[in-house]
Amino acid sequence: MAAEVGNPVIPGQRLGSIDQFSAGLGTYVRQRHIYASLVGYKDIISQAGQLPKIQIKTGNVSCNLPTIGKVVTAKVLNVNPRFCRVLIICIGTTPLKEPFKGTIRKEDIRATEKDKVDMYNCFKPGDAVLAEVISLGDPRSYYLSTAKNELGVIFAKSTAGHPMVPISWTEMQCPHTEKIELRKVAGIKYWTDS
Amino acid sequence: MRKDYQLPKFYDRLVCRTGAVSQAVGSAYIELRNTKIICAVYGPREVAKKQEFNIQATVACELKFATFSCRRRRRHIQDSQEKEYSQIIVQALQPVVRLDKYPKSQIDIFITVLQNDGSVLGGAITAASVALADSGIEIFDVAIGCCLRQIGDLSLIDPTYLEEEGRLNNEEEDEIVTNANVTIALLPSLNQVSALIMNGELDVDSTQRIIKDCLEGCIRIYPVVRECLTKSLEEKMSRN
Repeated sequence: MAAEVGNPVIPGQRLGSIDQFSAGLGTYVRQRHIYASLVGYKDIISQAGQLPKIQIKTGNVSCNLPTIGKVVTAKVLNVNPRFCRVLIICIGTTPLKEPFKGTIRKEDIRATEKDKVDMYNCFKPGDAVLAEVISLGDPRSYYLSTAKNELGVIFAKSTAGHPMVPISWTEMQCPHTEKIELRKVAGIKYWTDS
Repeated sequence: MRKDYQLPKFYDRLVCRTGAVSQAVGSAYIELRNTKIICAVYGPREVAKKQEFNIQATVACELKFATFSCRRRRRHIQDSQEKEYSQIIVQALQPVVRLDKYPKSQIDIFITVLQNDGSVLGGAITAASVALADSGIEIFDVAIGCCLRQIGDLSLIDPTYLEEEGRLNNEEEDEIVTNANVTIALLPSLNQVSALIMNGELDVDSTQRIIKDCLEGCIRIYPVVRECLTKSLEEKMSRN
């Protein structure tokens, strides 16, 4: 496996000049030179019409943090009339070692008719939600938004305790009791495709 | 105690390993002569409560001497020396970590000294930066720490526990003998010093020489650290 990749490098090692290369993942530029900031193998990717890119290929799972624009999977902890608190457990497709706290405010749930949103008709504690990070928020939590068709509740249990089936943008139904509960449902056709 | 000024080519024993703590994101184990230090890095994770919003990452460190590590039994709770060391390590490593990469988060470093045979602070700095490199947290350079004990005209690099505490036994009462401990943290490939701690009395001329000796001491450790990190990389790659 290591046959095609370059030399092993450790942080602080000089990799090349910015006149000849561009800095990629796991590198930084200091005084017109590119240095490694991770332990890994030096990897040079040639790009058409651009300087070849130097990046570091590591054996680690990269440290993941919620950043603006990323889609995260979160679990609803509690709901109140203004916002709900969630626990971010997954960023994109990579699960986190330790969860981060997040907040979905009432005005960030839906793109339209924001003023008519009722929190209790959108989320219930225990729901799994797909949401996008819109701000680093306050010291205690990241601010998330579900104001897109493909974002919202992806898994919820009914009051009877069975996983529910989405039947519309705002409704989910319990397959056992056939009771309909209200949720801000994620558009299934969007997230099953990808 | 060593009788004359000497700069040993190498420690009698210098061991450096990664992956000592399996739950941690990154960890390191270091042996400098009989000094044994274990270090674990966790994070980047959510900041502790009641902290202000910080767009950069914060580095937190907790150093603990094991109760059985020293001549005199240590207590379970952190004492003032351990707190001081922790703070020094934070200051030495803050310029090393790429704080801008991890906004609003905290990187925790836990260091346990299993056996204290001197040069603990230098060893702890080295261990912490090896653990950081092992964790995959982006850092500018691998900081290397080195200690030196000055007793009168005698410079002892990598002092042992006895040498660190020791004083020169001088017959003439009038003569003032200076005693000092110096610790340096060097970023070898950037050639920058991220920490310089001096305790005791030193005159200006010898200070310069001592710092130079300390830097030489750091550079001597660097190849071992480098070899350790490349070896752990190969292991990680073959495991995947």
